[in-house]
Formats: sequence, C-alpha cells, structure tokens
Amino acid sequence: MGTQVKDVVIKSDAPSALLLDKHADYIAAYGSKKDDYEYTLSEYLRMSGIYWGLTVMDLMGQLTRMNQQEISDFIKSCQHDCGGISASIGHDPHVLYTLSAVQILSLYDNVNVLDVDKMVEYVRGLQQEDGSFAGDKWGEIDTRFSFCAVATLALLGRLDAINMDKAVEFVLSCMNFDGGFGCRPGSESHAGQIYCCTGFLSIAGQLHQVNADLLGWWLCERQLPSGGLNGRPEKLPDVCYSWWVLASLKIIGRIHWIDKSKLRSFILACQDEETGGFADRPGDMVDPFHTLFGVAGLSLLGEGQIKDVNPVLCMPEDVLERLGLHPDLLS
Amino acid sequence: MHGRVKLKSTAQQEEEKRKEREKKLKIYVAGRDAIFTKRLEGVLDDEALQLTQQLLSSNPDFATLWNYRREILLHLETVREEDDVQKMYEAELLFLESCLKVNPKSYGSWHHRGWVSARLPRPDWARELGLCDRCLSLDDRNCESEVHCWDYRRMVVKMSGVPVDQELQFTDRLIGSNFSNYSSWHYRSTLLPLLHPESPDPPSPCHQHSHSSPPPSPQTHSHRVCEEQLLKEYELVQNAFFTDPNDQSAWFYYRWLLGRAEREEMISCVFVSREEERVAVAFSRPVNASSSGLMLVLDGQPQRVEWRSVHPHFRHSPVWICALPPGTISDIINEHNLTVHWTEKHTHRDCALYTGRSESWCRDSATDQELFRSELSVEKTSVLQSELQSCNQLLELEPQNKWCLLTIVLLMRALDPLGYERETLSHFQTLKEVDSMRSAYYGDLCSKFMIENTILKMEYAEVRVFSLSDKNLTMLCHLDQLLLVTHINLSCNQLLRLPPQFAMLQCLEVLEADDNAIENLDGLYYLPKLQEVSLKNNQISKLSDLQLLTSCPKLTCLDLRGNPVTQIANIQSELTELLPSVTDLLI
Repeated sequence: MGTQVKDVVIKSDAPSALLLDKHADYIAAYGSKKDDYEYTLSEYLRMSGIYWGLTVMDLMGQLTRMNQQEISDFIKSCQHDCGGISASIGHDPHVLYTLSAVQILSLYDNVNVLDVDKMVEYVRGLQQEDGSFAGDKWGEIDTRFSFCAVATLALLGRLDAINMDKAVEFVLSCMNFDGGFGCRPGSESHAGQIYCCTGFLSIAGQLHQVNADLLGWWLCERQLPSGGLNGRPEKLPDVCYSWWVLASLKIIGRIHWIDKSKLRSFILACQDEETGGFADRPGDMVDPFHTLFGVAGLSLLGEGQIKDVNPVLCMPEDVLERLGLHPDLLS
Repeated sequence: MHGRVKLKSTAQQEEEKRKEREKKLKIYVAGRDAIFTKRLEGVLDDEALQLTQQLLSSNPDFATLWNYRREILLHLETVREEDDVQKMYEAELLFLESCLKVNPKSYGSWHHRGWVSARLPRPDWARELGLCDRCLSLDDRNCESEVHCWDYRRMVVKMSGVPVDQELQFTDRLIGSNFSNYSSWHYRSTLLPLLHPESPDPPSPCHQHSHSSPPPSPQTHSHRVCEEQLLKEYELVQNAFFTDPNDQSAWFYYRWLLGRAEREEMISCVFVSREEERVAVAFSRPVNASSSGLMLVLDGQPQRVEWRSVHPHFRHSPVWICALPPGTISDIINEHNLTVHWTEKHTHRDCALYTGRSESWCRDSATDQELFRSELSVEKTSVLQSELQSCNQLLELEPQNKWCLLTIVLLMRALDPLGYERETLSHFQTLKEVDSMRSAYYGDLCSKFMIENTILKMEYAEVRVFSLSDKNLTMLCHLDQLLLVTHINLSCNQLLRLPPQFAMLQCLEVLEADDNAIENLDGLYYLPKLQEVSLKNNQISKLSDLQLLTSCPKLTCLDLRGNPVTQIANIQSELTELLPSVTDLLI
C-alpha cells in the first residue's frame, strides 16, 4: 500500500508566456458584469473582490482603468454607524471588509473619505480578553482576524489602539508542533493561516518568535512535482497558495527554499489564454481572486513586468513606501 | 471559486445556460431584496427565516443572512417557552446539517452551528460529536471541510468535557485506519502534553481553560511530554511510516518527536574588554534590552549604561553591547566584578575581571546548554539507536525516499553529531539528488549542522578559532555562539553575504572568507578588534559595498583581489581615501 502523491499534470500546450494585457482586460471588464449570476452571488465579499481587482491592476500598472470615484462612493456607503465596513451595501460590517476597504483607499491615498477614528474604535472593540480578535459582533475567533485588525491599524498608523502584547500572546498560542499556525489554539496548520500569522508577527515586530527553519521546511514541502504549491500535506496545488506560501516564506527569509522556475511554470500554466485571468489550477475557471495571487506570486518571484508587491500586506511596495510602512522581514 | 473545470460547449448550450442563469439570478435578487427590506423594517418573523433559509441553502457564505437569522432566533427566544426554543434550535441544527452536506467548507455554517449548539437549552454534545465523525468520513481530504470539522470537534470536546484520553484513543483509531492522518497526528501533539506531562504539575485539563489567558502552547515542544510516553510514540509513528513510507504526516510528526527541549532562558555569555571599555552580553534567545530590564552592576555599583544591539537592524537581538564610563575598568592593575542582571527573567550572570588580564568572559558551552543535542537517557539512546537501524533498513528497500534519508540524518544528529559527520554529509548529497526542488533547503540545513559541529569541535579544543572551509556552506547561523571567536575561516564555500548578524562576532580579529560569492558586507559593523580581512575571489562590486569597513577602527589589512570592484577606475586611490588606516591593501 502506498499513498499516491496528489498533484496535477501540466499539459505541454499550457500557457508558458505571461499574458498581462489579457489579465488587465479581464479585470477591467469584470466590474461591469453586474447582471451576472456568479457576480451577484459573490456580493457577500464584494469589498474584497474590489481589493483583489484594483491591487492586481496596480501591480500591472493599470490602476487608472478603474473607476476611482465610483469605488470611493461605494466604500463610503458601506461604513456603518459602529465604524466597521461591510462587503457591500445592506450587508453587515466585518473586519475582513474593513481591511479590504482601507487597502483600497490606501491605493488611492484617500482613506479620509471614511470616519477613521470610528473605524479604529470598531477594530479595537473586536479584541477579546485573551488577545484574540472576533470578526464581528457575533464572535467568531480566527487568527485571520488578528491579521486583518493589525493590518488595518498599521495602514492607518494606529497600532497603539489595541493591546499588542496580548494580541501577540494569542497568535503565538496558535503555533503548532510543525512550526505552523492554525485559526485558533489547537487548530491544524494551514498555509492561509500561516500567512496571516507571520504577517501579523511582522507588523507586531515579533518575527523572532517564529521557528523559521522548521516552518520554512513545512512551507517548502508544499511544492509538488508539478511545481505548484498546496496549502497543507496531501492536497492539490492551487495558485492562491503561490501567494500564501510564498509570501510566508519571504517574510521568514526562506523564499529560496522553493524551486522558483518550476513554480513560475505552474503559475503561468494557470492562465486562461482565451479569457485572461488565472484559475486555481490549469484548465479551471478563472476569477479575480486567483488572478491577483497568481500575479502577486510572480512578483515575489521577481517578474520584471510586474511591480514589486509587499509580502506582508499584499499591496504594491510603492504604496507602502508612500505611507512609510516597512514591516519587518527575516533575512 | 475552486475546482471548477472550464468546459467547452456549443453556442446553443451557451445560450441555454445563459437563460437559465438569468432566471436563477432573478429569483435570487428577488429573495435578497425581500430579505433586506424586511430587515430594514426591523421585522423578525418566520417568513424572514424561510426567505433566508432559501438563499442560505445555496449560498451559505452570505454571512449577513446568518446574522439576520440569529437576530430573529434571539428575538423568538424571548417570546417562546423553553421546549419550543429547544425545538426551534433543533430545527436549526437540521437545517445546518443539510447546508453542510451541500457545502462543508462554509465558515458561516460552522460558526452558526457552534452558536446554535451553545444556545440550546438542552444541548446534545454526543450528537454533535457524531456529526463530526460523519463529516470526517465524507471528506476525502480533497476538501477544506476537514479543518472545520476538527475545529468544531475541539469546541464540542471543550464544551462537553470529553476526557483527553478518549480523544487520544479516537486519534489511535483514525491513524490505525490510515485516515485523516495529518489532522490526527496534529491533534495528538496537542493532547499528549495534557495527558502525559513531563512535569508533576500538569497544565489545566483541556476542558477547563481559564478565560483570562490563552492556554500554553505545549505542542511546540515534544519535551513537554514525559519520556515514557514519548518512547511509546516513537513506536507508533514507526509503525505508520513502515506501513506506508510515503505517508508524509508520520514523518513530520516524527521530526517533532526528535526535537530538543526548549532552551532555558538565561544569559549565556558575558564578555568584558578593558581596551574598548565595553561589555557584550549574549542571551539564550533574542531580547529587547530596553523592555527586558537589563542592568549592569560593577563592583556592587549599578551602572548607568545604554545598551545597543549589535546592528541597528535588530530591535530584538541575542547579543547586546554597552560602553562603560571611560576610565572605569581601563587600569589593568584593578580587579573588577561585573554582574549583568536580566530582571525580567530573574536571572543574572557574574564575570570577574582579574588584575593583569585585559579581558574576561564567562560562558556556558554549547554542550552545557544542550544547544545542539540533548542529553539522552540510556533508554532513549537505545530506542533511538534501534530507530536508526530500522530506518537504515527501510532505506535499503527505498533508497530514493527522502523522508527516510532526512530522518536518518536527524536521528544521527540526536545520537552523535560529530561521530556521524561523514555519513551526514553523504546523505545530504543524496537528498539534493533525489529531492532536487528542495536542494537549497538541504544546503542550508547541512550548513547549519556543519556550523554546529564546528562550534562543538572548537569548544572541545578550547580555542577561539572557528574554521569551516570547503564545506559547501550556503548560509551562516548560530553567530550568537561566536561572540568570543578571534579568528574565523570561511574560505571556499558558497556564501553570498556576511549578514547583519555577523556583527555579533565582537572579538573578531582576523576574517578569512576567500573564494565565496560574497557581495554584501552588512555584518562588518563596528567590530572593534577586527584587524585583518581577506575576501579574495568574491563578488564585491561597488565601492559603497565597502563603506561599512570604516566602522572598524583597527582594520589594517584588506585583501580584495579577484573581486569585480578592483576593476573600477582609480580604485586604489578611492580605497585609500575611504580607509586611510588600512596600510596593507591588496587589490
């Protein structure tokens, strides 16, 4: 008995050149699909969807093709009385969309269309006694929300609003036997959570608490024979892990432990030559989420045609430069 | 968004699909708008429950609808009898079960289920546990639901007080049937320290976490588990990877079992030098001097000193330096007694500076600290030796199995790092061949082990010379252990830079690093005793790369032959201007 290695096989006719123009066209057209079923069904994450689209356009130097005014107005109408931001009009506020909103407005250098003080209060109010963060008033706890909270406050220059020591204590309590992190204490390691926790620790200036050699090993073992990365052992590769895993490796100073050229080939194979955009794996349907993380992953790999992306905040480095934000990275 | 294959279809098929989606969209939007209208009007009735139910069945990620449902349910709680509330929430659980069948990975559904379970007047935790069992059996690990399911299980266990050993047996069963392995091993790593702690005072049982502080993370160090149980675990894991040598999870878990104990928090070295009138302190882990309560006492008098880390890059550093007031210790006739207090950790270190001695130090060796290898009991040694034998047998059957190779290396490190050096190097060579995607990882890991061995050899020889040339070194680490080193030879390796951490070599007098690929000298930062630097045949290409050398006041010899920088016009005069005290310059 032996376990087969779960992986994909990249066909010989899979795309091997970077089709940036096609991706820009895909994203530019995506927002106009307001009568589309899939688009409407994803309304519950619209704020994040806009963040994915705008960020990838900015990374490709095409941000001007998006409608800044319309988006700013939309975001303004999503701020609730409690200060939190919702994914869309009529939806409830949540820390996930509060971060996305701040990220979007940071791209436009326009955060002040929102009531920033109220937003800071909203985030502060989500911190629990044990240092963890709830996503909203309904109390779901997840280290993703710890990341969202500090990333939001870092972009606003308001990290002093929370109890950072307690927040760090909670995140560290989610560290596992394999050096990775899960959503809550006792939860299994997962690349998405690892990205959130290493990103959190970077912002908190506590990266030295990570066991970089052990975690780096777990992360580089995500690379499969196809060159793609999975999110945890024995799962299929997915282009979004080119971000979660790669950014985590960059943050802990071990990005060279991945075979870069094989990963690059995998990411390029996930492009759709017809429609533009990236899918989770070669041959699947594309979407803006995977398009951002495919392009961002390529940026981390040093792709010349794409702007440098910051591995902690997944935003263009030049935006963070303007804000004076330089989160720590291990060397 | 995930796993949706793109299918080609005819124009007619496309048109049919489009019409169908248009219809679905209309229904959906009507439903959504009706719900939003009701909510805005503050309506909290059964119709709203029905409408949200319809939409959530096909779109459970629409989080706002779960919120609305909770508002309605909370309201109904206030106007219904307990029995009706019980029925209401049981119906909710039934609804959630169907949602989870359709989409087992929705955060919204799982969170709502947890919320409902907690609000039931008479919760049925056994049923919830049964749901988790069923959910796990549906999952084929191709699905994110597994992670949600286990997290939900942990919540149920906590709420209902399921004993730890029962959960441990549950993982036994799963592992035995080769199912959900990684999650099971992971769960074991969290349960073992609770059930079989190494110390007589166990941490609080898993179902009684205190609310004010998060539980300790015993799972990061297998040494929190008592040795007797640990040795049993070795057997369990060995069975797993002998049954299936490609089952990754067992190998990951095994690596954890081979891990060393957490280092005791302490000051590992204090060094004092009369000439520079400075004190250097090395800690067992990176600290921030300003928040750690570092205090220096000289001859019974607390000193007002400013601590700085070895490089401005690091707010947290294992090595800190301070300058003493001029004249305090410079006279070689005087004897002095220094104490460094780490008040945050209630520990301190003394160092005596004798008459006639220009410097002094006090240090625990790497061996004393069990830095690179734990002291093993006779029993554990024997177990590990037989493990090593078994793994070697497995390797004969599966010579390309990288998990086995790496584990053999780790076993050898645990048993006898110096004795097995040759085999270790050979295995790393094989690893780079059979698992070439990760050859950079193996290169760095091998470098780390060779550095550890060199430190051990240096300590046994009781010298302050560190020599590690021609060993394919790809990186430098453990530099905090080299605080006392006076001579270092890193020639003929594959180093790309001397990182900022290199500045921890505060006693360094001679640096030889010829024949590498060094292009960055960030670590040659304020090294007060550095006199000779040889960097022949490297990749230093700009004058600015050498700027930092001006911070080393004693530097007199510099060999830069074979570097691209020597090809720059007027380099001789540029360097003489930059480094006037370097009288012996070779380019």
